[in-house]
Amino acid sequence: MIQFINMLLIGIGAGSIYALMAIAMVLVWRSTRVINFAQAGMALLSTYIGFELVQKTGNFWIALPLAMILGALFSALVEILLIRTLIKHSTSGPVAGIVPIIATLGLLGFIRASIGFIWGNQDIQIQPPLSKVGFKVGEETIALSPMNLLVLLTVVGMVVVLGFIFQKTNLGLSLRASAYSPEIAQLAGIRVGAIRTIGWAIAGAAGAAAGLLQTVNGTGAVSPDSLEFSLLLTFGFIAAVIGGLESLPGAVLGAVVLGLVLAVVQIYISGTLVFMVAFALLLLVLLVRPQGFIGSKAGRRA
Amino acid sequence: MLKKHPLFTFIVFGAVLFLLSNRVDELRVFQGATVAIYVIAIASIILLTGYSGQVSLGHGALLAIGGYAAALSRNEWGAPVWLTFCIAVLAAALGGYLLGLAAARLSGPYLAGTTLALAIGLPSIANQFTVLGGEQGLLFDIGVPPTFLGEDFTQYKWFFWIASLAALIAIYWLRNVMNSRYGRSWKAVRGNDVAAELAGINVGRNKVLAFTVSAGLAGLAGALLAMTISTVSPGAFPLALSFSLATGAVLSGVTTLGGVMIGAVTLVAIPEIVDTVVSRFESSESVANNLPGLLVSTLLILTVLFVPNGPVEQMRARHEKRAKR
Repeated sequence: MIQFINMLLIGIGAGSIYALMAIAMVLVWRSTRVINFAQAGMALLSTYIGFELVQKTGNFWIALPLAMILGALFSALVEILLIRTLIKHSTSGPVAGIVPIIATLGLLGFIRASIGFIWGNQDIQIQPPLSKVGFKVGEETIALSPMNLLVLLTVVGMVVVLGFIFQKTNLGLSLRASAYSPEIAQLAGIRVGAIRTIGWAIAGAAGAAAGLLQTVNGTGAVSPDSLEFSLLLTFGFIAAVIGGLESLPGAVLGAVVLGLVLAVVQIYISGTLVFMVAFALLLLVLLVRPQGFIGSKAGRRA
Repeated sequence: MLKKHPLFTFIVFGAVLFLLSNRVDELRVFQGATVAIYVIAIASIILLTGYSGQVSLGHGALLAIGGYAAALSRNEWGAPVWLTFCIAVLAAALGGYLLGLAAARLSGPYLAGTTLALAIGLPSIANQFTVLGGEQGLLFDIGVPPTFLGEDFTQYKWFFWIASLAALIAIYWLRNVMNSRYGRSWKAVRGNDVAAELAGINVGRNKVLAFTVSAGLAGLAGALLAMTISTVSPGAFPLALSFSLATGAVLSGVTTLGGVMIGAVTLVAIPEIVDTVVSRFESSESVANNLPGLLVSTLLILTVLFVPNGPVEQMRARHEKRAKR
């Protein structure tokens, strides 16, 4: 029984971090029809900035929001400098479809190499702000520590705030309209260019939170070639695809499903099979229900 | 010349390579072999992306299939060298066929993400099977060069010969395929798959076929790569390799085979340039570690921004424009 509860807790904990990454990918996809493979690089950069801020201020609670804001600014900058130019240059031709993919990939390499230049290729270490020892229920220690709780609360908080923005504010309406049809939104007086940049900025903040939280929740160590961040990108992508790549609730649902499935595999079968199962799940979803759990058939445009 | 007598041109080119390999030092010969391998790998990406409109970021995984297949067939059954390469091609083509079945139903970003996931997860997948040797991987020894080539015929020159011959045959064959019915069908699918379907082309089957052929070529490149480093291990096919190959393809221009050398030479030249810079300015370790990645990714971004079709295609377009005036 305790094992089953721990499995649930581990699954939801891991899934909540994938959810942040998936949200970032969905936001970028909705605003510019680009899968941002550099999202891992941006999250990595924000994590390093967070590390610097923790060093300077000595306080994780100031570093986290600041890193998210800086991550958002960087993401907006990328959209303005790189993605806008790309979309302007390559609207047609045989390579139009692959150009954004290749460009974000190049950006990923660029960010990683730049981080290596600035901070070196050795691991850096961020101290976790809270205890990582699980709470005690009676005699047993469950797989839920104050740190896990923080991660969960942050993710839930972000989802609530994003949900509020998207459903209740004018900005959210503009974001949804631009995603639905850029032309119509433009005719209705929405400045689609600015809205796209905002979409990227929010994605940058979500990615920054994902990177920092994953790091302090894990070993606390990061390096520019960190496999954890490559996996974060992959699992975020898989979660976003499970959710249909169009919907934010879908992304969260996909991430939690992925987290739970991987937790089942890890605890009941073997930890080394985790990646293969995730990959098989991705292929299965793409072949059986390519529009994702949530999302209509017409939603899958590319 | 190239247009009229392609076979003749290829033979002349091979002869020039042969003469060159006798004149330059060992390091250059080894780099030459690497260029030949990259030519094959990049050509396989160009075939896939430029001629059939599919994009794969995980070509490193297909190279790995070829490398492992070659090493296994050599170690387990003692297959002769030429046969190991054939087995590598077939094994990778089979892998590519399976992947292609899934890929034909996926469009752009989905396929890119799936293949990227494959490349990232490759080490953990390879470690699952004890027969593949885990982290250490397998040895792949093709043996010393045959004695009739003389006493001073070095191992690296032997690698260079094999790799160059394979590259020449592969590119010549690919060139012919491109001008065949299949090549034209792929171009049609890339141009507009609805129109291609209306013209009676089976789009799905053609995409799978393109993926299979591309994977076969990648498998050949993987076996050759394993040959030059004498081992196959997950670490020999890192994510960076997949990225480098994609970069090479973009630098060469994905719409034409003509520029394939550009990407291959650039990929080999970048570490060389970095070495020179580092030793000249006595730079620190972090520069030596990160400059190659920085150069590759900067080149990649600049290329997609300014010459998305590749330099060769760009020059051809400019030439045609001038001719029209």
